[in-house]
Amino acid sequence: MSTNESTTTTDRTPVDEPDVCVIGAGPAGALLSHSLAKRGHDVVILEAGPRFDKESRVDRMKLQIHPDREVNEIWDMGGERDEYTNSSERPLPLNKRRVKGVGGTSLHWGSVTPRFRPRDFEMQTRHGVGKDWPISYEDIRPYYAQAEQEIGVAGPDDAPHQPPREEDYPMDQLPRSYSDKLFAKAGEALDIDVQQEPMAINDGTYDRNQCQGYGTCEHVCPSGAKYSADIHVDKAEEEGATVLTEVPVQRLEHGPDGEEVTAAVYETPDGTTHRQEADTFVAAAGAYETPRLLLLSESDQYPNGLANSSGTLGKYFMDHGGGFVIGLLPDEETHVSEYGPVVSGGVFQFYDEEEPTGGINIMLVNVPEPSVAEVAIGSNKIGDALLDQVELQYGNTLGMSIVTEMLPREDNTITLDESKTDDRGNPVPDVDISDGQYVKDATEKAVSESTALIEEIGGNVVFSQGTHTPDADYIEDTKGGYHPMGGTRMGEDPSESVVDSTLKTHDLDNLYISGGGVFVTGGGSNPTLTIMALSLKAADHIHEELRS
Amino acid sequence: MELTRRDAVTALTAAGITTTAGCAGLTGETGSDAEPMEVLVSLADVLYPSDIEPTPEFIETFMYGRITDEESYREELTAGIETLNQLAADEQGGAFHTLSADQRRSVIENTDLRTGPSEPDGSDVARVNYYLLDELLFAFYSSPTGGELIGNTNPRGFPGGFGYSPSLEQ
Repeated sequence: MSTNESTTTTDRTPVDEPDVCVIGAGPAGALLSHSLAKRGHDVVILEAGPRFDKESRVDRMKLQIHPDREVNEIWDMGGERDEYTNSSERPLPLNKRRVKGVGGTSLHWGSVTPRFRPRDFEMQTRHGVGKDWPISYEDIRPYYAQAEQEIGVAGPDDAPHQPPREEDYPMDQLPRSYSDKLFAKAGEALDIDVQQEPMAINDGTYDRNQCQGYGTCEHVCPSGAKYSADIHVDKAEEEGATVLTEVPVQRLEHGPDGEEVTAAVYETPDGTTHRQEADTFVAAAGAYETPRLLLLSESDQYPNGLANSSGTLGKYFMDHGGGFVIGLLPDEETHVSEYGPVVSGGVFQFYDEEEPTGGINIMLVNVPEPSVAEVAIGSNKIGDALLDQVELQYGNTLGMSIVTEMLPREDNTITLDESKTDDRGNPVPDVDISDGQYVKDATEKAVSESTALIEEIGGNVVFSQGTHTPDADYIEDTKGGYHPMGGTRMGEDPSESVVDSTLKTHDLDNLYISGGGVFVTGGGSNPTLTIMALSLKAADHIHEELRS
Repeated sequence: MELTRRDAVTALTAAGITTTAGCAGLTGETGSDAEPMEVLVSLADVLYPSDIEPTPEFIETFMYGRITDEESYREELTAGIETLNQLAADEQGGAFHTLSADQRRSVIENTDLRTGPSEPDGSDVARVNYYLLDELLFAFYSSPTGGELIGNTNPRGFPGGFGYSPSLEQ
């Protein structure tokens, strides 16, 4: 799709003496950059991918609806630039899970934005599993509120099963969809609380387009009502930040004493190499690429990778367990997709159970089946026969998408695959992750409760699967890889972690890491809001440092 | 049910294209005797349900919007019509729009149209599938008119607003 900015005429030379260089223009870099730029700091953002033309979003949405097009095609992912190796036992289609470009993976996220809970920061103390974070919920709580205000979250102020809040959500919760109502009624009979999910979708309150109900939030929102991080990249630019696109950073260089990063070395589309110097650097390239960048930045002083004196770089990598439960409601219309947003309701009741202790978020899906147009296009039939087939296949499904907690394990890793290189000749990331019994137990619990809800409504479960349930017969949409976390984890002890509680690396005085990679445990909440909250916290620390 | 220009405008809105079309015709050389409009209406006529009457206004508005938006799409449309007419000539001995409805269905059923691949940069027939047949099906089945036939007034891909949620009693 040739709708990006020109790759030949753009100035991609380094910025002269900026305060901060941020690597990555996704959620982990965008809010942080804006937070710093608006306080007068000179910020440059280096982004590996392009700036997508907003006008192209409708055609990208149509790619999503087209039955013969792949998810990675929607945002131009794939090819040599995005090569990787998967050494895991399960499929991990990374390029269907991430986007490189201004806005990053938030361009195709579902925009479900629950906070982590107090228990998530102290799983070792509470349950004897994982490891406690060096910060508590109270430490991050004001940054959650700030992030919710920045991006615009519509959420349930008075719903049960939420972490403590000090103020209302910026927008009223989204209304219940028809299927939410069916689930809520079934929940009453089963003592299961069905509530609204916090969603970063504009109901008209924020200064971006209101939701227009395309029903394609994941993987593209043509109206722009769904928050995506390009919004804060734009705001950062309005505050004076500079954004260089299609400039993948190849490595970070450090000074002779090894205590500070001196430059980010990047390449332009024509192969020219530049060095971007800055006072402070923030690696915010996502939980797959940030560890890789640090490993590629090995030196005599850091032979196992930059900021890796602990030996934990790339280790304790996590994903969320996931799964779908799909039910068929015979002879009853469930008003699939008429509502708009792909998710609006959920079940958090099983997040903080005694057994299993793994966190669970059950998202109630408003679009559990392909679109009408997709069914029509995918058929071989025409005319009345086509209409009959569409009618037969469409309109009476119910479904859940499940997020469950995986424990951090040292042997779940991101390393370099020295046998395979990307388009710049750099070894590609090698992901090796396997699930454990912990996440399987949580997923089975979630699938069981989801099944009970569907059957209470009168439906038949026609698909019941989790990526981590035994004997998983994978389908395209449940292959995992959506929520990468860990690999550059946070901790007080420099021998056991990569960054401290401010997200600064233990080893280098001016290098920060922002993103899901710093998570110590994974919880059962979709991670992006926590990524953004932590990035705003790091921005405050960087601001204080630069001021002093 | 006659598909009106209003239906096309809603379909165009679904496709994110703003246009004032409706006064300009899809005319021009296509490499055959047929004008694009006649071919597209005759194609939509067999793709859509029999109760639906695709009108020049619907096609013109929808396709014209695409054409004014994208030069590349105009080229694909022209090339696609040529391919379609060639298939029609081989199968039934005439340009596609001159054939009876049964003959047009026969052209589709006896070739790789619909059953073959649909690719933006594939073979001639794969591109006809992608740029003509799939576009026409998207236009119809992501419009309220198409959705209503199966009880959905806001089909996915159509920006019909958010929050539609009938009560459980309905």
